[in-house]
Amino acid sequence: MKVTYNWLKDFVDITIAPQLLAEKLTMAGLEVVSTEAQEEDFVFEIEITSNRPDWLSVIGIAREIAAITSKKLKIPALPRPHTLRSQAKQALVMRVENKKDCPLYTARIIRNVKVAPSPGWLRQRLELVGCRSVNNIVDITNYALFEWGEPLHAFDFDALQENSIIIRRARDKERIITIDGQERILSPEILVIADGKKPVAVAGVMGGEATEVRSSSKNILLEAAIFNPGLTRRSRQRLGMQSEASYRFERGVTADVVEKASLRATQLIQEIACGEYVLEKYSGAPWRSRKSIILDPLQARKISGVKIPQSRIKTILSNLGFGLRPVAKKKLLVQVPFWRQDVVSAIDLVEELTRIYGYGRLPTSIPRVSPRVNETTPRDLVSIVKNTLLGLGLNEVITHSLISRQLLADFGINPESSVELKNPLSKEQAVLRPSLLPSLARCVSYNLNQRQAYVNIFEIAKVFSLSPDGSALEELCLGVSLCGEKSFLSGKGLVREEASPLHLKGIAEALFKKLGTGDYHFVSAGPGETGVYLGREEIGRVVNLPKEALEKAEIKNKDVFMLELALDKIFAVKGPVKKFIPLPRYPGIVRDISFICRENISTKELLKAMEEKGSPLLEGVAITDYYKGKQIPQGYRSLTVSCLYRCGERTLTEAEVNPVHEAVFRLLKDKFGVSPRVNS
Amino acid sequence: MSSIDIAAVKNEIESRLESVDSLDALEELRVKYLGRKGVLAQLTSCIPSLPVQERVTFGKEVNALKQGIILRIEHKQKLLSASNKTAAGSSEGIDIDLPGIAQELGQLHPISQITEEICGIFTRMGFSVVEGPEIETEYNNFSGLNIPLDHPSRDAFDTFYLNHKAPLLLRSHTSPVQVRVMKKQNPPLAVVVPGRVYRPDATDASHSCMFHQVEGFMVDEDIRFSDLKGILEVFAKAVFGPEIKMRFRPHFFPFTEPSAEVDISCIICKGKGCSVCGRKGWLEILGSGMIHPNVFKNVGYDPKKYTGFAFGMGVERIAMLKYGIDDIRVFFENDLRFLKQF
Repeated sequence: MKVTYNWLKDFVDITIAPQLLAEKLTMAGLEVVSTEAQEEDFVFEIEITSNRPDWLSVIGIAREIAAITSKKLKIPALPRPHTLRSQAKQALVMRVENKKDCPLYTARIIRNVKVAPSPGWLRQRLELVGCRSVNNIVDITNYALFEWGEPLHAFDFDALQENSIIIRRARDKERIITIDGQERILSPEILVIADGKKPVAVAGVMGGEATEVRSSSKNILLEAAIFNPGLTRRSRQRLGMQSEASYRFERGVTADVVEKASLRATQLIQEIACGEYVLEKYSGAPWRSRKSIILDPLQARKISGVKIPQSRIKTILSNLGFGLRPVAKKKLLVQVPFWRQDVVSAIDLVEELTRIYGYGRLPTSIPRVSPRVNETTPRDLVSIVKNTLLGLGLNEVITHSLISRQLLADFGINPESSVELKNPLSKEQAVLRPSLLPSLARCVSYNLNQRQAYVNIFEIAKVFSLSPDGSALEELCLGVSLCGEKSFLSGKGLVREEASPLHLKGIAEALFKKLGTGDYHFVSAGPGETGVYLGREEIGRVVNLPKEALEKAEIKNKDVFMLELALDKIFAVKGPVKKFIPLPRYPGIVRDISFICRENISTKELLKAMEEKGSPLLEGVAITDYYKGKQIPQGYRSLTVSCLYRCGERTLTEAEVNPVHEAVFRLLKDKFGVSPRVNS
Repeated sequence: MSSIDIAAVKNEIESRLESVDSLDALEELRVKYLGRKGVLAQLTSCIPSLPVQERVTFGKEVNALKQGIILRIEHKQKLLSASNKTAAGSSEGIDIDLPGIAQELGQLHPISQITEEICGIFTRMGFSVVEGPEIETEYNNFSGLNIPLDHPSRDAFDTFYLNHKAPLLLRSHTSPVQVRVMKKQNPPLAVVVPGRVYRPDATDASHSCMFHQVEGFMVDEDIRFSDLKGILEVFAKAVFGPEIKMRFRPHFFPFTEPSAEVDISCIICKGKGCSVCGRKGWLEILGSGMIHPNVFKNVGYDPKKYTGFAFGMGVERIAMLKYGIDDIRVFFENDLRFLKQF
């Protein structure tokens, strides 16, 4: 909100320069976001917090300045004008349909006004605070609005049908043209001011064109009211509009100001536009009882960490308009002024005291912290996962949790089982993703478009789904995606390597090893998809993105490989406690076998059979090389398996190993039909 | 024989050592000078022929020369054998200006890096890290935090609601974790909460409908505003450097009272005023305050017994200030060229 230095000076003696005043206001909670010297005045733009509607007025800010600078607020008396008895009693039908929508409505009728352009001083002040001058009547209502914070509206009384003012909900599809010239279609969620026939204003938001005060108007009805804040907010949101009036009604206007602003406007209209005041009419009670709160200065001290002298406490509160009465033991009975609806308990008074005393003057201390050392949390495990992935060269990405239904469909995920937003910003961000893969695919596509030859990324985030009983679930998930050709320098120069599902398997295995997760399996689930299991439970998968998904993600001539793991499920299974295994005391003998076998033979079974056959001397087998391609017949591949023989009690001799190794090789020939390959 | 001869011998051997390029040549040189019939032996043998008063001085000089030569030959030997080793290891010398060979490391997203940095500062001060769900109840996100039913932040314009049988929402801040932790544990508490939060803000250079926050709070029998100031000062100086200035500006949050926004002196212009700080010289970095007694009542704490502070900050904001990033969207584009910068 904008306010000027000179306008403030009408209500409080200001002896400090505008810049210093701005600084002091900021440090009291009225953040001055800009200052500008203009036309022999100085304009402050202040950001007002939502709890202080009383600051949305010159007087409210002047009161604050009085408290900060220890000055008294001076408000000229507003005499209640006499209605002119000489005039025939003006007929006015006034009805408020629902007191909750409009707790207070006041109307004053002023006759025979001379509508004209505003005098220069009035026009200038309004323009400085960003309000366009219209005519003297409209300008006066705005002037009183800025000065007191109560929005007023003047109707052309003669344009009101049946001399009526009815505050009611709009009927469905009722229409009004507001003073900005726009036609608005109304609904029963919107409160309107109506005359005997039709709406004449959107209550608390904007008046109607048909009843606005123009140069030909003679008799006016001055409205000052309180409209329900929530209702005002919803009305203006529905209509997609905002005004100085709605801004204030939404935050709350108090009854005392309604009266004051209305009297101030009446005074100015009589002065400037020569009107005759003929009638005032009220609906609702203008006054409320005032709250009282007991303030214990000890509590203030306990919160702020500083002792504010009793005399200072009293000055601060009384300058802010609070009434004070001492009660026992230095405690004070504090009477809350009407305009401070935000002050409801002692802690609110403590805030007022520390705020005006100055946060900057409060001491600084370091509290004693009693640390709680927790067991390993999922966050610690996530940290292990992240560090492992970083060490493997993967880059972390963070993508949006909200995606489109279409994107899910593109990836063959049924959108019905996903959690939807009631109020999405757009179709693009309408559901909570049940999988990280679509977002990662987009990320891969984006980077390929930036001419990256190799994309290796991961994300750890929540995924969301509906459980069979309909409750919304969220689980922590890891997604990894590889695409393209990695090229790197080795000792022998450039090496190129195409990403593959085996790289993802390697990544998963590295994670399981680091987390101490045992009993995991990779089980083929058809072409391009492998299930990852922990015991019998599926905890993830390795997939080649299918063609349709690639096309939808606009990825051309590239394969994209993805790994998805349910981290919650992995973290739930605690790995075995790490224990030292004594190192072997006797050397082992290593024998490699290279052979060609059919491609469809399971290497897992093959190795298992070898281990069984070679037991107990065969300590372990491992595939150390494989090859497919030229020199190998179609449908076959070459494998090299390294066999380690060892005995725990003595050094093995060649003579002991040879027969076992021959038996193992025979098994390969007999059971798996392999043929030996000459070592090159 | 005289001192002049000694100096001449010294010069001679220095120039010869310089030109020696193999261990064999060095050995030859050693024998020539230090051998049984070498130059040094000859010098020593002529001592008895000198006048008595010169013998001692001359003897000392010869000895010093001998020690010097021994050291120089040893040093040369080390140099020659070292280069010999390299040569034996590879057929040619390595050009150390070629790129080093190592597995390329991955990068943590800058938002994660800043989150870790922030949480790290607080855990070193004894705070625990706690996380909470992103789908929340209205109670934890609003009512429990003393946010009244008609508060604008509850609007569909400010909070994402789920299309669900239960009145659930996407948390609009990390503060609901305050309610969760306090309902489960009793003071003393010192907790930080990192996490994703959601608000229906149209995306632009400074808004994203998903962003990250770190929340922190501390509750005990005697926590004061001065403690909030102290802890946040340690934090801000750890993140932005010991020379920054801070100020606590009164503000309004429903769940704290008194409340404050915290500004640091602009890290770009050092408080003089620039475009980053809007010519104010100050940058707002977080919101904070003393936990409202109503929040304590809601979680079953006695507000007469306990006091506490809470604060919350946007991770993107801190990262943008620290790294000089001017568009929030760049965080979620995940361009590898961007990610690899941090």
